Amino acid sequence: MRKNILFLLSIFIIAGVVLAACQPAAETTTEEPTAETAVEEPVAENPADIAASLPRDETLYFNGQQWGSVVCWNPYSSNCNNAMALAQQDNARVTMFETPYLYNMLDGKVYPLLADGDFAWDAGMTAITFKINAAAHWSDGTPVTAEDVAYTWATHVKYNTQFGAANKDYIDTIEAVDASTVLVKAVLGDDGKAINPLLVQAYLSSNYVIQKAWTEKLEARTDGDAAALMADVAEDVVFSGPYYKFFTDDTKVVMVRDDNYWGQDTSMFGKLPVPTYLAHVIYKDNAAGTTALQAGEVDVSQQFNSNVQDLWLKDNLPISTYLADAPYNIGASLPTAYYNMASYGLDQVAVRKAIAMAVDYNTIISNAMTNQSATFTQVPRSLMNPTPGEQALFDHDAVADLQWAGSDIEGANQLLDDAGIVDADGDGWREYNGQNLHYIATCPNGWSDWQAAIEVVAAAGKEIGIDITTNYPEWSVYQTVVTNWPLPETGYDILMMWSDGAGPTQPWGRIRHLISSEFAQTTNNWNGNWGGYSNADADALIQAIPTMSDAAELKAAYTELVTIYLTDVPSFTLMYRPQSFHTVNESVWTNFPHEGDGTNPAVPPLDLTDGWSIAGLYNLTLVK
Amino acid sequence: MKGYRKYFVNKLLWLLVTTFFAFILNFILPRLMPGDPVAAITARIAQGMSNSTGMKEFYQQYADLFGTNKPILEQFFLYIKNVVHGNFGTSFSQYPRPVLDIIKSSVVWTVCLQFPAIIFGWIIGNTLGALAAYTKKGFDKVLMPISIFVSNIPAFGMAVILLVIFGVNLKWFPTSGGYGFDLIPTLSWRFIWSVIVHYQLPFWSIVATAIGGQAIGMRSMSIYELNADYVKYSRFMGIKDRKIVGYVFRNAMLPQVTGLALSVGTMVGGALVAEIIFSYPGLGYTLLNGIMGQDYPLISAVTLIITMMVLLANFIIEIVYGLIDPRIKAAQSD
Repeated sequence: MRKNILFLLSIFIIAGVVLAACQPAAETTTEEPTAETAVEEPVAENPADIAASLPRDETLYFNGQQWGSVVCWNPYSSNCNNAMALAQQDNARVTMFETPYLYNMLDGKVYPLLADGDFAWDAGMTAITFKINAAAHWSDGTPVTAEDVAYTWATHVKYNTQFGAANKDYIDTIEAVDASTVLVKAVLGDDGKAINPLLVQAYLSSNYVIQKAWTEKLEARTDGDAAALMADVAEDVVFSGPYYKFFTDDTKVVMVRDDNYWGQDTSMFGKLPVPTYLAHVIYKDNAAGTTALQAGEVDVSQQFNSNVQDLWLKDNLPISTYLADAPYNIGASLPTAYYNMASYGLDQVAVRKAIAMAVDYNTIISNAMTNQSATFTQVPRSLMNPTPGEQALFDHDAVADLQWAGSDIEGANQLLDDAGIVDADGDGWREYNGQNLHYIATCPNGWSDWQAAIEVVAAAGKEIGIDITTNYPEWSVYQTVVTNWPLPETGYDILMMWSDGAGPTQPWGRIRHLISSEFAQTTNNWNGNWGGYSNADADALIQAIPTMSDAAELKAAYTELVTIYLTDVPSFTLMYRPQSFHTVNESVWTNFPHEGDGTNPAVPPLDLTDGWSIAGLYNLTLVK
Repeated sequence: MKGYRKYFVNKLLWLLVTTFFAFILNFILPRLMPGDPVAAITARIAQGMSNSTGMKEFYQQYADLFGTNKPILEQFFLYIKNVVHGNFGTSFSQYPRPVLDIIKSSVVWTVCLQFPAIIFGWIIGNTLGALAAYTKKGFDKVLMPISIFVSNIPAFGMAVILLVIFGVNLKWFPTSGGYGFDLIPTLSWRFIWSVIVHYQLPFWSIVATAIGGQAIGMRSMSIYELNADYVKYSRFMGIKDRKIVGYVFRNAMLPQVTGLALSVGTMVGGALVAEIIFSYPGLGYTLLNGIMGQDYPLISAVTLIITMMVLLANFIIEIVYGLIDPRIKAAQSD
């Protein structure tokens, strides 16, 4: 009997193993048998036709940029979820599509890409003129012309794309003076000058030039329908950048180098970027991405790797960050806690400032950011990020008395006592006009570093007799609530949101989004000032700064804005966060951007894909 | 046979009624979630946009496009009309990708991971449970505590344990993905081998947690059957052990078969934990993202498929039961 049962067991096990073994074979038949062919055939021997695997010494691997599957390749769309190819922003991603200029966050300057030489404002500050590089050509071999630039803008406006809607208040027209000369006319104010020169010139380093001929083809097949035009997957798009689509599925996206890329002309880079392929495996979360980085399957990591220093100090891996020591990266944005000005008692400056003073920022930085942020002792708080360029824009001495580094329980208590906000009934909580101060601090659920920060804010409240509890709604709910004024009566007294990073309009853009009343108490507000703060003096300065050209005048204005911000405390920064995390594994590739690497202009730590950081792709070398 | 027809018609009617209500719930429940899916799309578009009038225009444009501003009844009839035509609509979270395309690309991975794992776990678990019940003594004393211990390890715990031991420390298996990070899918041995290797950790993490529960259930059922009167009577009659064990297992197997059918029915929901921890492609994670992004068309489509599979699995089981176990048919036909 026992023999039979063992026989039965063996049969079951074999059946199971066979079933399991069958699975992969079945799976292969469901996959694309060959890599998707490229949209264009820019090279005689297309690597897309011959490669079934990506040679490790020709492929640069990324993580932290692409989450989820790629949807489309359409530069007119904002919904392609195509992080390796499309990002028209302050530091535009220029792997496949290109902007006239490249922004460098390290020196705050722009460098020509499709453009030839610097752009120039006319004497009356009404229009910008720039030239297109004669060497620049599209992937189909036709030259990039001024008409392409003009038609791109006209299309943005005609179909009200995101990029048209974002800029049409500031840019009037973009015209082709001749085949290579572009004239960007600004919308003028009452004084006859551009109402916002900053945003006009930022367009040139933030927005792609798209081929006119391809755009006309797109318009023809979508029959002039704006929604259809922006929903087109654009598999046939013509591009001017050094990389293009090689393969995508639900697990990865791979781009391959266009060996006919115009940028190898001596007027630009003089050679091709080093890696043949740029590949990004789609990881499900940061933990999976970190494991792959440790295993050497990722070369450039644009994600938060907790305790990043352990990777080289404890694990002895050839991994490094832009800065050798904490904070490891250059802080660029300011994750901020906003006060809801409509909440009871939060209209009182003393309450707002006391909470902000009591918060233990060092704990936030060490726990939530694992020291990947400068402390507020190293970079005292203002409205500026820690980059030297922004720090030089205000008078540090003038605002020194207003700045706080945190954990100042005594000072916060004193401030509240002086304001008459005391615990009169002895229940342990302070009252304002007889009512206990009770607040709920909130941020989206699952945003672990933000949640850790909010917990520290809540703990600070208890230290100074203000009851702060926490609440973490799902992001889908949170975003709907905080972007639509009025905020609910409870649940959103102190709320955490982001601020702008580094870019050609900064720090003006960040300040505008933090405190300008144009966004206060509005609906569909994705810009900022979510707490509903309003200050006429600040508004006037924010309006005036874009037209200022005198450095001293600019510094005085920024100093005044910092003074207003630190006095009124409508919100407070909890940490500094890099524009992009930039952690590199040098087991295969080396010569990545690092502080003091001798590059000139210095290549910023933006993953070799954004703005001037693309120059880093030309400097890479193999370890062996 | 007349009794069976009545039984069949009765079950079929119940299937239709349940399907109808499931259809309504599939449509309504996602829409009852707090939050606004169009706001998420506006958020993506809003990056870099500084004028709030433009933002409102976009919000309106997408609300019109997805019909979220239409009356709920109108949306429902539109949904039914589209589903009848095999059109699950366009995904909100992956706009403009069609929902069907999303499901097609991920369901294969899920089924290929889950189906063998469920079957394998079920077979091994039941065999071990039956063996424990039959052999008793040492085997049972060792198997039971191990089964209880293993079946109580949560799925994510088992996945992480396997990942750390076999992926990170021993480096026997890759830690993430459905195939090599450096490969492009082709019909080559290298690719097939890569898929097999990447398959192991997610597969065993599911199997390991399934075996324990199945073994415990099967052991209890078998012990109950082994002590039944008919077994004692058969022994008195001198019937061979082999024959008796056949009877015992057949009877003990019935509830386990129901469990198997339900597991197979729900497998399209995906092995969420394995998919996340091993970055394995599949529908579970896609559905989770759909829920987080309030992607109504995607949620409705996936839950509709799951519902239909569970209902069909149940229906088939009921029909097969009616055939193999006349007691059930008799009890239901009364």
